[in-house]
Amino acid sequence: MDIEVTEIGHVAAPQRVGRRALLGAGVGGAALSLLPLMSGRASASTTTTPPGESTSTAAAAASTTAPPKRPTDADVALLDFAQQLELTARALYDKALAAKWPADQLVVVTTIREAHEAYAQSLSGLLGRKASGTASEALLRQFSTAWAGTPDKLLAAAYDFESAAVATYAEILGKLQGTDAAQLIASIQIAEARHGTALADLAGSSDVGELLVDTEAASLLGKG
Amino acid sequence: MGNEMNQTEAIQTSQPMGRRGLFRLGGMTIGGAALLAACRKTEAGTLGRVGEGPTNPVLADPIVDNGVLLRTLAGVELSIVNAYQRMLDEKLLQGTSATFPAIGDLTTLVTTFQKHHVKAATTYNRLATDEGAESWDCGNTHLDAAYLSPIFDRVVLGVKATDNAKAIAPSDDTVRDMVNLVFALESLSAESAQALVPQVTLATIRATAMSIGVRSARQASLTALRINPSSYVSAADAANAQPGVTTSTPAPAAAPAASDGPPLTEIPLPVAIPSQFGELSPVIYVGGNGDENGVRLKLNFETPSLNSLAYPYNACAKG
Repeated sequence: MDIEVTEIGHVAAPQRVGRRALLGAGVGGAALSLLPLMSGRASASTTTTPPGESTSTAAAAASTTAPPKRPTDADVALLDFAQQLELTARALYDKALAAKWPADQLVVVTTIREAHEAYAQSLSGLLGRKASGTASEALLRQFSTAWAGTPDKLLAAAYDFESAAVATYAEILGKLQGTDAAQLIASIQIAEARHGTALADLAGSSDVGELLVDTEAASLLGKG
Repeated sequence: MGNEMNQTEAIQTSQPMGRRGLFRLGGMTIGGAALLAACRKTEAGTLGRVGEGPTNPVLADPIVDNGVLLRTLAGVELSIVNAYQRMLDEKLLQGTSATFPAIGDLTTLVTTFQKHHVKAATTYNRLATDEGAESWDCGNTHLDAAYLSPIFDRVVLGVKATDNAKAIAPSDDTVRDMVNLVFALESLSAESAQALVPQVTLATIRATAMSIGVRSARQASLTALRINPSSYVSAADAANAQPGVTTSTPAPAAAPAASDGPPLTEIPLPVAIPSQFGELSPVIYVGGNGDENGVRLKLNFETPSLNSLAYPYNACAKG
């Protein structure tokens, strides 16, 4: 009886896979699929932390307190003065442009005047509604007398004013906390430094000390 | 009857598996393995090692802080000092220039510039040590290797012939190339100081760095005016300032090309005030003689970045 059944089963169901076989296949497949994962784990345990990951954590640990990006309340007062300074410069250049200039000098002076206006506008962008948007009356009174006469005198006055502006920004940079404001002031300051050299050369100076502004003017901060 | 049927099925499943069954089982195993492998995490880490071997070297942390940034700029300034010293030692600024016949000898001016950069390096190193970093007492490695050495080699020595390229002669106008390099380095010093401003955490460092940048910018302007007299502002800024007035961009430096050779790469002329705001864009340097196609060496000087910083684990070469 048993033998007969065995023979029947062998012939009748050769293609069927039993439950045990299926389970075995599943376990075998799972074991195979886990092999690369396990080897990855094993290798990862022998390596150190990737440099990229350690950078961020180490840098964060080493750096001091990050400065704010936006201007602080104290910065706003400094930036407002900077804008008044730029608007004063624009007003003084407007006054100077009323004089009779040779064409080659006129294009330089006009370009520098436009630059000061651009600086004032950039500061407005940073200050928003807090910008006073006006020139400094005190600075206008202080410089108006020098900004008169022939182009030579005007170039000398502009040279002095640009140097004073550079000195003012040096003082402001030493106080600003917000990096956005510091970045803008630095880009203005470095351009105004170049103005001085160009104006000295335009005025015909050949003195290297004067061309490189060896003697910087006094800062105007607090005189507005 | 029912009991017999059940008994038969139970016995059937325990029978040995045929060839087809084995194939089927193998296929299912492989398919299951592939499915599970596809579902696992992709970060497998590095490959496992078989056998004994040295462990992977542990790189020091590339920390970027005030000290690293400051000693990097000290290195940049010292690279400029060294470049000027080579110009002075080899008298590369003396002689005549076919491209700039009126430029004269700039040896005295460059000596003045060099003193400023020596002071600048000292200042940056002082600030770096104040921040707890070690001072950097040699040139910036990246600037020296990738920019200054190739420029001096191309201008002074030219390039030897190779299997697939003809030799390039030394510069057709050494004075022009050196003066243009002075302008590029002064501009780089100014831009580097400006670029430092938003990166450091202390306002006092920003102000001190910018005092160096201001001087370098003026030196760049003065060099531009020596190279290109009466070219004060860029044509674009001049046109914007006086819309009704026609302005023209200064022509690039005339390239005295050989009569039978291809035209040489034009060399841009600098202006004293290149833009309304301080620039942080690359400073383009074109110099040396042209190759067989007339192409000169062209490099973009850029402010220090991650690949050129003087990290704490970097040190000047000994000797």
